[in-house]
Order: sequence, then C-alpha cells, then structure tokens
Amino acid sequence: MRYLTIALSKGRLADLSIDLFESIGIDCSELKGSSRKLILKDEANKIKFFLAKPADVPTYVEYGAADIGIVGKDTLLEEGRHLYEVLNLGFAACKMVVAGPEELQGKLDNLNNKRVATKYPRIAREYFEHKRRESIEIIKLSGSVELAPLVGLSEVIVDLVESGRTLKENGLVILDTISDISARLVVNRVSMKMDSERINKIIDGIRKQLEKG
Amino acid sequence: MSKWKIYTPEGVQDILFDECFLKRNLEGKIRTLFRTNGYFEIETPTLEFYDTFCGDGELTPQETMFKFFDQQGRILVLRPDATIPVARVAATKCKDMQYPARFSYIGNTFRFNELGGGKQNEFTQAGVEILGVNTPEADAEVIATAIASIKAAGIESFQIDIGQVEFFKGLMEETGLSEQDTEQMRVLIDQKDFLGIEELVGRHEIRGDLRDLILELPRLFGCTDIIDRVEKVTFNKRSLAALANLRNVLEILDDYELSKYVSIDLGMVQSLNYYTGIIFRGFTYGVGFPLISGGRYDSLMGKFGKSCPATGFSLGINLIMMAIDRQKIEVEKPCVGSLVCYGKGGRKVAFKLCEVLRSQGMTVELAVMDNDIEKSKKYASGKGIDGVIYILDSKNIELYNLKTGEITKTSIDELLR
Repeated sequence: MRYLTIALSKGRLADLSIDLFESIGIDCSELKGSSRKLILKDEANKIKFFLAKPADVPTYVEYGAADIGIVGKDTLLEEGRHLYEVLNLGFAACKMVVAGPEELQGKLDNLNNKRVATKYPRIAREYFEHKRRESIEIIKLSGSVELAPLVGLSEVIVDLVESGRTLKENGLVILDTISDISARLVVNRVSMKMDSERINKIIDGIRKQLEKG
Repeated sequence: MSKWKIYTPEGVQDILFDECFLKRNLEGKIRTLFRTNGYFEIETPTLEFYDTFCGDGELTPQETMFKFFDQQGRILVLRPDATIPVARVAATKCKDMQYPARFSYIGNTFRFNELGGGKQNEFTQAGVEILGVNTPEADAEVIATAIASIKAAGIESFQIDIGQVEFFKGLMEETGLSEQDTEQMRVLIDQKDFLGIEELVGRHEIRGDLRDLILELPRLFGCTDIIDRVEKVTFNKRSLAALANLRNVLEILDDYELSKYVSIDLGMVQSLNYYTGIIFRGFTYGVGFPLISGGRYDSLMGKFGKSCPATGFSLGINLIMMAIDRQKIEVEKPCVGSLVCYGKGGRKVAFKLCEVLRSQGMTVELAVMDNDIEKSKKYASGKGIDGVIYILDSKNIELYNLKTGEITKTSIDELLR
C-alpha cells in the first residue's frame, strides 16, 4: 500500500493536530519524540508525517508532495492554492481584521490614499480591491504590524487578531472584520480522488471527534 | 549586458536525451491512436491575436497569457490553449465541412503557472475535438479516446472523473442567486469549502431540499450509484436532464468496457463559462494535478461566428512524463547498438555496411575520431555501446562484443549475407 503523507504546520498547530490524529488511532509517537528526522512514520497505518513552515503547507499539498495538510485559514487565503478545504478543525481560532486609529472608525471610505501595512498582502489586496473596490498601497511587513500606523508608515493595517489586547494597548481599533480564521484540514485534489477511501476515513474520524467536542 | 545568457527563463525547460526520446515516443503513440480513430491533425500558429482568447466571459484570464505587440501595435499572445484555436479554425475555415468533424492536435501551449502543465509556463498538449454533434456517443467517444491515450502511454492506474455542469447550473437557476453569488458558490464548491458554502447558503432564502442538495454537492463524488441517489432528491428539470445525460454517457462507456476507470463528480464546476455539458478530468498517482481535462463546449464556436456543438479533451504530455517517472514505469531509452570503425582501406566498406545495418533498423554509430581500435573500444564502452565492428580493409572484419569480451573474425561478404 502507498503511504499517505500528511504535512503539519510547525508550532502550536502541530501539537493540536497530533492530539487529533492520536484520537482517531493514528500512531504519532515518532512525532512527539525529539528525533531530528524530517519524515516520521506510522508503519501500521502506512502514514508519513512531516513538519513544515505553515506558509509552505498549502504548497506541499497543492503539488501532491503531501496528500493531506493542516494549516490556518489565514495561510490558505494568503497562498490561494488549488486544493480542497474539507474540514474546519476549529482550533487556533482568531480573526483577520482591518485595524487603525480610533478616529478612522466608520470613516474608512473617506480616506483617499490608503497605505495598508500587513503580513498578508494578498488578503489585504483582495479585500480592498474586490470587496471595497478601492485601490490601495500595500506595505509588506514581517512582524509587529501594529507599529506601522503609530509611526506613520501606514494609515491602517490588516492582521490577525486573537484577543485584541495588543491593538487596545496601542490605541488601535478594529475597523472591519475580513474573515474568521481557524485551522483547516486540506487535501490534494488528486489524492482525494485516487485515495478517497482512506482519506475519507480520516476525515470522517476527525469530524466525529470534533462533534464529540 | 549578457548576464542571463547561460540561463533559461522561469517555467521553461530543456528536454534532453532520455526524456526527449520518451516524449517523442509518447507523442508518436498518441498521434497513431488519434489517427486510427479517424481524427485529422491540424497545426495552428504559436502566435495569435489576444482577441481570440479574451472577449466576453473571460475565456482565459489576461494575466495568464504571454503578450507582446505586432508591428501595427496589435496585441499578440503565445497560444495559451489549444481548443480555442481549433474552434476558431472550425468556425471560420471549415464552416461547410461534413459533420461530425474530428480534429486532433499536438503542440506547445504557454501560460503563466498553469496547472495543466504541472506549473510550467511552456507545456505540450495533445487532444482531440469532435465538432458538429451533441450526442452522448460523441462525449463517450472523447472520454474513451482519453482513456486509450493514457493507456497508450503505459499508465495503468488512473481515474477519470465525470461531471455535468448543467446539474449545478440548474440548481443555481432554481435558487435565484445573482450571477455574482453563483460565481462565488462555484468557486467554493470547486474548492470543496464546506464552511464557505454553508455560510453563503445561510445568507439567502433557499428552499430546504434545495439547500440540502447544495450543501451536499462537494461530497457528491465517487461511484456511479450517486446518480440514483441524487435523482430522487432533485426536482429541477435542467438538473434532472443533466443526470440523465450523464447516465447515458456512462452506459455507453460500460459497453466500451471502461467502467473501471470512471467515477462521478457532480461537484466538478471549473471553467463554467466554457463547458456546457459533460465535463471530465483524469488523475493518476504521483502527479498532483489532473493529466487530462475535457468536456462539451457548445457555445465556444459561436464566438467565432458559427454556432456548433463540440466536445473534446486535452492531455498534458509533460504530466504523463512526470507520472511515468514517479510511478517508475519502465520505458525504452535511446541507445546505440554498434560502433563501426575502420582501418586504412576499409572506409568504403564501412559506409556500405552502416547503410545496410541501418536499413535493417539497427542503430549504428560511425567512428569519426581517429580509427584506432583500442581507442574506439574505450569510447564505445564509455558510451554504453556493446558492439564494435572493426573493418580492417576491404574484406576483413573483426566483431568485438564488449559485454562478453568475445572477438569474432569474419568478412564483409559473410556479414552481409
């Protein structure tokens, strides 16, 4: 039998994913060890795992290098890959928002030239150009995006917000919510067809686990 | 100013020796298959006007095309697709042809990041089109030909998914969703984004049974009894007609004895502004992208001035090669059987011998370095040539079998007998 390959996003998502796979009877002991091996196996179920940078998970799945992946919706939106998004795993929940200084509340439309600082240029562009039908200037940053409006680098930001504390402490407010974000199970389009039986078994197993709560 | 001279641009590749040999073989096998099925091959230009591919309904998104200008300032593109030029030719130059007309093509197409090329920008496509009839027989034949071409390439484990776009269109018509919402729904279903579909459905007032069916749509793939199940819960006439048509095509494929390769996907809804009926895709192991895509496109030719039903498929040769490589399928490799070298006075005989051996279908390389037997043997073994034929003079010949080390002495008369 062919191995099914599962790509996990490094970090917190990986730990939560491992719990989920263990709950449906997949052996993840190799994953939990401190091994330096890049590819880990569950020989009994013929499943291979690897950990990848979250932003790369959709790429592995799109090309079929992994059959299944677990990744945040934010990454999926930003990467815009061709794959099947089959399950909302619910965990790692947060929101993708437009945020800015209080005085812009309700006045986003009046702002002529908008500079938008973000780690997610594609999501920001999609939102402003397609939903609001506005042209914007994207300023790509790689972290601490909240800083940008404070030092005059941009008018607004597009970023992930979990509790909203960082925004609040820096005098920023949510101006609009773009999308709810959480971890998703994604499947390669060809694998879904060629190995539908095994993949559906995993999907159904996880779905049942999620329903149990 | 020449810092790029040793590179090739992104998304294009040199195809060398073994790969090129395989590619030409595949193209040859597929061409033979098309010819024996009565398809006549056509070749359309690599360059075409931008207008051919754009226009209403965005056949090809403009950002996926390679564009430049001709001397009059008109926009040209590198052919991004092979079917549209066929439709152009058929509607303008073959208007009075007897139908059904069968066309085939094998050629390179160019697109930025196209999935059908395995993310390459230049890729070879082979395909057929049947023009002038809208019958399930024509749709089934196109699918059967698609299956035969994958098999001709030596790939045995693959799957063809068949859908019918009218099923989706009928359901959407009944919901009364706006064009924009319908397009959003199409994208969500194409991505099997269950959550997104639920959210979109929730925003509109849709009758209960219809809503359940739409929510179910991305899951409606697999074996053919899905049709029976869905038929019982579908009330839209257009959708029911689509299911009946699909069933009809499957029955024909069953008589072709191809049912084992076929499954159903009612949630297959890509390129709806192009396809008008049966739609299908082919998959295999080791390639993350569909190898084959095709279907019925009855409104495309109308764009070029003559409405005419049509159905066809195209297959990515590069993806077939990728599958052969990943699935470790044995393929023939280019090789040279013998090296002919000659001593003083043997030249004329050597040329004659080469001619005779080649006419018998052998691959023979003629030594063009200095004709020293030891050097020739060394060269031959380095290149994996197993036999060396050494022509000493106009009569005497020595045959070296480098594999066994055997040396046979003979004469030209004996060898040619």
